[in-house]
Amino acid sequence: MNVELVLEALREAFPTEALEPRAVPVDETFVPLPPDCVHPAVRILIERFGLRHLSTITGEDTGSEIVLLYHLWHGRGLTLRAVLPRDGAHIATLTDLIPGAAFYEREVSEMLGVTFDGHPDPGTLLLPDNWDGEPPLRQQRGGVQ
Amino acid sequence: MSRMTIPIGPQHPALKEPVSFLLTVEGERIVESALRIGYVHRGLERILQNRNYVQNVHVAERVCGICSHAHTTAYCQGVEALLGLDVSPRALYLRTLLCELERIHSHLLWVGVLAEHIGFTTIFMYAWRDREIALDIMEELSGGRVAHAVNVIGGVRIDVSQAQVHAILARLDELERQIGTFLDVIRHERTFQARTRGVGHLSAEQVRRYCVVGPVARASGVDVDMRRDAPYAAYDRLSFQVITADEGDVWARAMVRALETVESLHMCRQLLIGLPDGAPSLFKKGHSDGAPSLFKKGHSDGALAARAPRRVPPGEAVSRCEAPRGELIYYIRSDGSDRPARIKIRTPTLTTLMTLPDQLRDIHTADVPAVLAGVDLCIACADR
Repeated sequence: MNVELVLEALREAFPTEALEPRAVPVDETFVPLPPDCVHPAVRILIERFGLRHLSTITGEDTGSEIVLLYHLWHGRGLTLRAVLPRDGAHIATLTDLIPGAAFYEREVSEMLGVTFDGHPDPGTLLLPDNWDGEPPLRQQRGGVQ
Repeated sequence: MSRMTIPIGPQHPALKEPVSFLLTVEGERIVESALRIGYVHRGLERILQNRNYVQNVHVAERVCGICSHAHTTAYCQGVEALLGLDVSPRALYLRTLLCELERIHSHLLWVGVLAEHIGFTTIFMYAWRDREIALDIMEELSGGRVAHAVNVIGGVRIDVSQAQVHAILARLDELERQIGTFLDVIRHERTFQARTRGVGHLSAEQVRRYCVVGPVARASGVDVDMRRDAPYAAYDRLSFQVITADEGDVWARAMVRALETVESLHMCRQLLIGLPDGAPSLFKKGHSDGAPSLFKKGHSDGALAARAPRRVPPGEAVSRCEAPRGELIYYIRSDGSDRPARIKIRTPTLTTLMTLPDQLRDIHTADVPAVLAGVDLCIACADR
């Protein structure tokens, strides 16, 4: 995968966004994107570059926002980084483009309370069915417990 | 025909670990299935946030009871990248050696499980007997059969003597002869073929849709292997073949895994014979700087492990490696303290679990054990 070509295509598709890629060890490029651009960006990656392998989705509550990292791989790592507000965090599902995103989205959803709009089978993945507490990976008031 | 729903699990004799399948059947045919995991969810990602980097090596080792070394490899590699630590070539070779021994043990364990599931108890007994050879070697090297505690941040904590190298090479020859038996059975045994051919079929397209990795992907003709595609540790210095098959059924998965075991044996030999020397051995005495030979401050400089600082500078790392079941990924973010701010683990089993509803559709209930065994589930790994 030629990262430069991918970035060029993304810049072309989202001319108003300042895409500042960042090299991350071991062999990864992080590309920040607004949440509503993630789905169209993945569509471009699939259609133009055949990049269909989503390794996983990392979700993190930094205390002020929710960060989602879509780790893609195609010979090299490419991670799309989207930042969501902590309250009412939601983003479009990728399951229509990559069915393999289903479990990862469910996990982020239950662990961090992010809603994936259009997910065909939402619900808990690892937590018990009767879980009624806070999403467990959310930072609690007063820092991580 | 009326429909009936049969629960399999979370506790069931056909399952090695707790996972639940709800099969809807019409007579003997399965029309639909639902899957539930999470019965052994231990909250490990949260636990990793609450321990320091050194303690986390031990936590990562316990994510999985089979591919424990793959987890510490991915974890240590990520932390080493954040620290900018250089790992000595000898340590990388030893790290890779354990990776391959672990793959041999995992694949042979799987051959046994599959054989038992399809009622071929003889091969189950042989496979688990021969797997002991790999376990014995790992025990001799590290003191642990399953949790080896070989990896430390900055290198490894074991060394191997020349006498051990010769002893291990002899045992690897013995193991290779035994694997020949399994290959014969997979290729020619009629009952084995009858129970595995055409069962649990996954096309290359399905593999790509669900982002499946490892031997299951390779058995469907998808040529992916992190050891070759994104070489880590000492893999760039080894010559090996990535085994693929086109059939995409349980038989192809057996073939791929058995042949991969042979490849792993060849890799172990290359690693042992080509083991770079010049590294001060653990057992060597009298160092000018007085530091024990295992650890040397600041940089590796030939020591088996560089001494890593407790605090890790702020940053992020994504570490991938090829566990016995496929691509394993660790995301690590440091906030500059001695504890990681976030660690995300995705184990290969999670990808294969997503394919099970497809694999279980329109098959006979008698084939369910073969399908479940065929994908080599590691539920504790997937649940974390």
